[in-house]
Amino acid sequence: MLVLVNSWGLSAPAQTTLSPEQLDFFESKIRPVLIENCYECHSAAAAQSGKLRAELALDTRAGGLAGGESGPAVVPHAIDDSLIISALRYDSFEMPPSGKLPDEVIADFTKWIEMGAPDPRDGDKVIAKKTRVIDLVEGRKFWSFQPLQLTPPAINSAVHPIDQWILKKQLDLGLSLSSPAEPRVLIRRAWFDLLGIPPTPAEMNHWIARLSSGNDAAPMISQPAWSELIDTLLQRPEYGERWARHWMDVVRFAESHGYEQDYDRPNAYHYRDFLIRALNQDLPYDQMVRWQIAGDELQPAEPLAWMATGFLGAGAFPTQLTETEFESARYDELDDMVATTSVAFLGLSIGCARCHDHKFDPIRAEDYYRFAAIFTSAIRSEKTLDLDPATNLLRQKQFDTELQTAQANLTEYGSKKLPVEFLEWLQQTSSDVRMSATWNVLAGEVATLSGSTFNRLEDGSFLAVGAPPLQDVLTFRATPFDGTVRAIRIEALADPNLPNQGPGRAGNGNFALGNFEIIRLDAEGSRKPVSLIEAVASHQQDQSTLSIAASIDDDLISGWAVDGQIGKSQAGVFYLAEPLELRADQRLEMTLTFQHPNAHHCIGRLRVSASAVPRAVPEVGGNGPSQQLLTIFQTLAGQSDLAQGFAALPQFEQQACLDWFRPQSATCSELQKKLDDLNRIGPQLVTAKVQVTSEGLPHLPHHADDRGFPHFYPETYVLRRGDVAQKVSIAGAGFPEVLLSAEREPTELVTPEQTRINSLSSYRRAALANWLTDSQHGAGALVARVMVNRLWQHHIGRGIVATPNDFGESGDRPTHPELLDWLAQELIVNEWKLKPIHKRIMTSDTYLQSNKRTDDPRSKIDPENRWLWHRAPQRLEGEAIRDSLLCVAGQLDSSMYGPGTLDSNMKRRSVYFFIKRSQLIPEMMLFDWPEHLVSIGQRQSTTIAPQALMFMNSPQGRGYAEAFALRIANDNPQESLRQAYELAFGRIPTPQETQLALDFVGRATQQRREQGDSDPKQMAWSDFCQMLLGSNEFIYID
Amino acid sequence: MENLNQFPRNVSTRREWLRRAGCGFGFLGLTAMLHEHGGLGQLRADGLGARALDPLAPVTPHFEARAKRVIWIFVNGGPSHVDTWDYKPALEKAHGKSIKEFDANFSNTTGFFKDAVGDLMKSPFEFRPRGECGKMVSSLFPHLGEHVDKMAFIHSGFTESNNHSPALFAMNTGLARMGFPCVGSWVTYGLGSECRDLPAFVVMSDPKGRGLPKGSAANWSAGFLPGVFQGTHLRPTGDAIDNLKLPTNLSLKIQREQLDLLKQLNQTHLDQHAAESDLVARIESFELAYRMQSAAPETIDLSSEPAHLQQLYGIDDPRCDHFARQCLMARRFLERGVRFVQIYSGGMENQRSWDGHNDIQGNHQQFADETDRPVAALLTDLEQRGMLNDTLVIWCGEFGRLPIAQLSEKPGRDHNPHCFTAWLAGGGVKPGVSYGESDEIGYKAAVDRVHLNDLHATILHLLGLDHERLTYLYNGRNFRLTDVAGQIIRPILG
Repeated sequence: MLVLVNSWGLSAPAQTTLSPEQLDFFESKIRPVLIENCYECHSAAAAQSGKLRAELALDTRAGGLAGGESGPAVVPHAIDDSLIISALRYDSFEMPPSGKLPDEVIADFTKWIEMGAPDPRDGDKVIAKKTRVIDLVEGRKFWSFQPLQLTPPAINSAVHPIDQWILKKQLDLGLSLSSPAEPRVLIRRAWFDLLGIPPTPAEMNHWIARLSSGNDAAPMISQPAWSELIDTLLQRPEYGERWARHWMDVVRFAESHGYEQDYDRPNAYHYRDFLIRALNQDLPYDQMVRWQIAGDELQPAEPLAWMATGFLGAGAFPTQLTETEFESARYDELDDMVATTSVAFLGLSIGCARCHDHKFDPIRAEDYYRFAAIFTSAIRSEKTLDLDPATNLLRQKQFDTELQTAQANLTEYGSKKLPVEFLEWLQQTSSDVRMSATWNVLAGEVATLSGSTFNRLEDGSFLAVGAPPLQDVLTFRATPFDGTVRAIRIEALADPNLPNQGPGRAGNGNFALGNFEIIRLDAEGSRKPVSLIEAVASHQQDQSTLSIAASIDDDLISGWAVDGQIGKSQAGVFYLAEPLELRADQRLEMTLTFQHPNAHHCIGRLRVSASAVPRAVPEVGGNGPSQQLLTIFQTLAGQSDLAQGFAALPQFEQQACLDWFRPQSATCSELQKKLDDLNRIGPQLVTAKVQVTSEGLPHLPHHADDRGFPHFYPETYVLRRGDVAQKVSIAGAGFPEVLLSAEREPTELVTPEQTRINSLSSYRRAALANWLTDSQHGAGALVARVMVNRLWQHHIGRGIVATPNDFGESGDRPTHPELLDWLAQELIVNEWKLKPIHKRIMTSDTYLQSNKRTDDPRSKIDPENRWLWHRAPQRLEGEAIRDSLLCVAGQLDSSMYGPGTLDSNMKRRSVYFFIKRSQLIPEMMLFDWPEHLVSIGQRQSTTIAPQALMFMNSPQGRGYAEAFALRIANDNPQESLRQAYELAFGRIPTPQETQLALDFVGRATQQRREQGDSDPKQMAWSDFCQMLLGSNEFIYID
Repeated sequence: MENLNQFPRNVSTRREWLRRAGCGFGFLGLTAMLHEHGGLGQLRADGLGARALDPLAPVTPHFEARAKRVIWIFVNGGPSHVDTWDYKPALEKAHGKSIKEFDANFSNTTGFFKDAVGDLMKSPFEFRPRGECGKMVSSLFPHLGEHVDKMAFIHSGFTESNNHSPALFAMNTGLARMGFPCVGSWVTYGLGSECRDLPAFVVMSDPKGRGLPKGSAANWSAGFLPGVFQGTHLRPTGDAIDNLKLPTNLSLKIQREQLDLLKQLNQTHLDQHAAESDLVARIESFELAYRMQSAAPETIDLSSEPAHLQQLYGIDDPRCDHFARQCLMARRFLERGVRFVQIYSGGMENQRSWDGHNDIQGNHQQFADETDRPVAALLTDLEQRGMLNDTLVIWCGEFGRLPIAQLSEKPGRDHNPHCFTAWLAGGGVKPGVSYGESDEIGYKAAVDRVHLNDLHATILHLLGLDHERLTYLYNGRNFRLTDVAGQIIRPILG
């Protein structure tokens, strides 16, 4: 599909008609400079010595005109098109690299181009210039770009469709399928394949009984039972945990930024939870693909769809960037999205075309940048989501009902029972008692020196409004009343309109009452200071200059402040030296001075009350009736029929009475409290912050913000050689042309016509998502092929295409192309559901085979088992090893979902490890855990000594063994041993194994006894169990 | 043991052979098998093939190697070339002038701190000619100056990033991005290891609590190569390597009993499994692990080294004790066949490494004092043992520093991606030469510019590896350490 054109001897005729002036100019101004500065790397000689750079030769006229990798160096008369000029100017390239040439020289070259680049040098461009021409028509013929080829069954329709193709090849080669493995082996195989943990002994025994049919001479597997077993396992929640982990490799999923700071992405785990949920729900794969790419655009009302978008933003990103790195960092990020998307879904390395056309596949650099442009404005964000709308709806409904009831109860009581209760109280209470309420709120007016204003509120308090003055003096002149006054209280009240809820007006919500004094105004106009002897407060900032005592000292600055309990109401009480018997023609005037040098330390909301009680304590509230109310009470109490008198009162007076009385009513208070509590607690809806990838949302903040990293650039450009300094043109979003049918316009990307529910987004990703999963007109056939191949690989041990991430030219060809296409078709026909594909594969005879025998003659024909004539034992992955150890040790914590951890001692399944790129879990890394930086389609399975050390020496390894040994502890060693074998291997030990084990335990017990160990027998069993867990049988599954 | 040369080509027969060899099967045998099977040429992305059974088995290089092992002193943080090895008399004359007089295009964002750009500043250190070659060396290196006749200097290195971690990644992996295999990983992938009971690729970091180099473990990552090729980081405190110590409750005697039991358990299993070679390899890995338990602690333990040698390295000299120990440890690793050792001088940024933003004089004096004597001793020691011939010693950081001052309380120097100096010595390196030049003030690499790909190609070449042939097929592309470029710097080859 690639055509290599060797254009040897690209030549241009020598110019023959140069004027003497032109010739002179070239020879004096141009040629010496070329020889001196350019030929070292750009000449035939350079080419011979291997020093030629950029395939550019400047030692012939033809060479300059033909140019090098980046295009023509010399274009006569066209200064802007002649790369040699921009290079000399250090605009594009910086040539020569040793330093910019003098301006005169550059001017000479400019003039020379303007003259038409007269050049007497002849000769061909001597460089062999290889030009790759990508032929799309040829390219589209490549097998993986073809529509699905549906071939009729190869053998006969009674044979399982999968076995048709496997058997066909085997027949051709003289091979055959091996007989089915015994039930015990198959059960264990299925458990590990689907769940990644071993069956319990009870499960094992149950299914052995169910599966066994036929007789001892010709054992058979009961097909219905096997089918039921698979269904049962596919319904287990562990299935999602097992298979999500496979996919996490493919999408390089991790939960930190990587690079030097490697900051965590604490809300990234929702993507992992999406995978588990989606797999367990058997969400159709095409939908999984669409949501991962554009869930935010396609289904913004669906939380799972948002969670899925974590996919695009899961790559590593350097959060420490300098300005010069900003743009290239964004292109790197786009590259990560392109590379991962194309490899994961298409099995194509589009990422390879970043710097130049793809070396093997028919993908051009323009294809790459068109693909990248789809993601132009997609960035990592966080979104608060309702992950469980149904439950939240229930919560809301229940709350609304409770709230309504509470409100109704209160209203009903207030209108029906409260007046009765009030009148009873009035009747039973003497006027003295009524008066004896600790505090009576004083009515009055507020004036200020600064001119700042206060609004009177219904509760008798005053709230400052307008801009706060720097300092102020506030005067409160109380409305006249008669009675005894022993103390004056200033309540400094919290209020939502004040900074930090107040009670002060300073930026932090504080105030400082520098001075407080009281004057008695008599009718004749005389002003008598009222002497104060002591002051106390519900809270004061300190015991000295910010205490309330300091408000009545001689210093006008020091005084009561309340930092430490900002946002709460406070009370300050000033005790009079002598009780004051006020007459109705006398008034009190209070002056509050706020002169603290810190700005705005004035009071924000205050209420003034008087008390006749000796030593009234400083508390907020506890107010008795006001003077006006007392007057009403007095009037009422004098009447014979209280109820009638009350009814005769004006409405507002009735209301005032009830409003005051309401807090005195225990029932009412309780009802009110219930309502308040409900309002305070709210409906308790559960939402979560989820890391998403989207457009138009605030970016996920990180360290590079400090220097102004823009997170994305509005346009994506086609770059020459991947260099941000060499922008060629704006890249229009689009798909790789080779995957489009020939008729379509190459740059076309049709954003969906459907309603754009997410108005912030461009819907370019939605277009990609739809195209990828469109099996008729888009890339759906390839996407299906790639996915069924991944499933096959995990079940069988090797893909039909052995390079799961490369379905391109350099990847392997399918061993069974008809089978691959049949499976892909099955996936599409089954509405892209994956569970039916698992079942299809697992019910084939190919899957059910046993291991080969040592001397099987078929080994000679197909030693590598390419044609699947037997089952080869599979080494478990790191996660399955660890999860199985926990299972057998009886320590597995099966709780699902939620944030992960870095703690090696955690007992949940390994899929819940927090994946931090700089702190990859050592126990997992030993067993070929990916670095989670790039897509991995198939893990290595290496065997190295440090793995053995993990089993031998790690605290965890020993810990599993000790827990396991405790689990099987039994007075009867035979029984212990049987349990151990059943738990670890799903079988009972042979007599030889029993002998071996008991001998060992005996010897070890003896040695431990000699060493003086406590409980030598139990320790010896731990020693034994440790080796069972370390054995090959434990981690190689037949 | 059977004659390996008569080893049959047929894979299934090979598996039979493995089975028969059973637990006595040795890794050398496997190595031979791999070679016969085609070794590196046969490797694929989707698996190491048979090599996965013993991925660190030695592999024959592409051509005869001049160096068999590497010790890389990573001068972490970015050493200033004009204050160390790149003598610039013109800078003394230009002291106090604006760099714009030399390069009108100079931008304040060249370094890291755009608001602290000062004038050109001469080196605070004195230079004098050293060795027979007369190399001008700064007063920072009284001991290393003795060895200039062994070194090949590269004065014209340049890199891409002006930021630590991308530049560290670039120096280690060729690309300024995370996720690619580092030189040490490529080398162990290409050559395997001569030593089976020690890690093949060892990394040591600052033991003085100054942290890891920026980007930490990604600097010795295997990237997309199998994880087995990543560097083993010796923890500076606590257990140097995971799981080498027996768990409490276990004695070596009982562990031996355990492993004997395990062998029998596995043998029974193997008898039923048609001699799958990975099962055999895993059986052997436990024996290897058993030996590693003693081999690694023995290597790290310096007590058997003679006093005069310890003194030569500078052990017990409080300025350089820590680095002296690491250098001596490195020699012990190399001596036992470890392929690649990297020691980071300094930890993170600023005063914790050679990152002399503030007070270049104090900073560089401190870190030179920490390393000068130990590295010089290492060269002497290697030479005396006849190991220098085939051990490649590299002294190099992630970038150079600007010839201008960075304004701060005491003048510093900011990052300079446009120029740095490195030196190579030992295995196959031409001694006492200098290659390439920076411009007259040391701002940019000017003559015979050396790209990182060129440096890496040269390192691989010295190890007998062709940088264009050492590839790994991953996700559809044959990756190389040198990407699509790389020219061997032939003038520094011996």
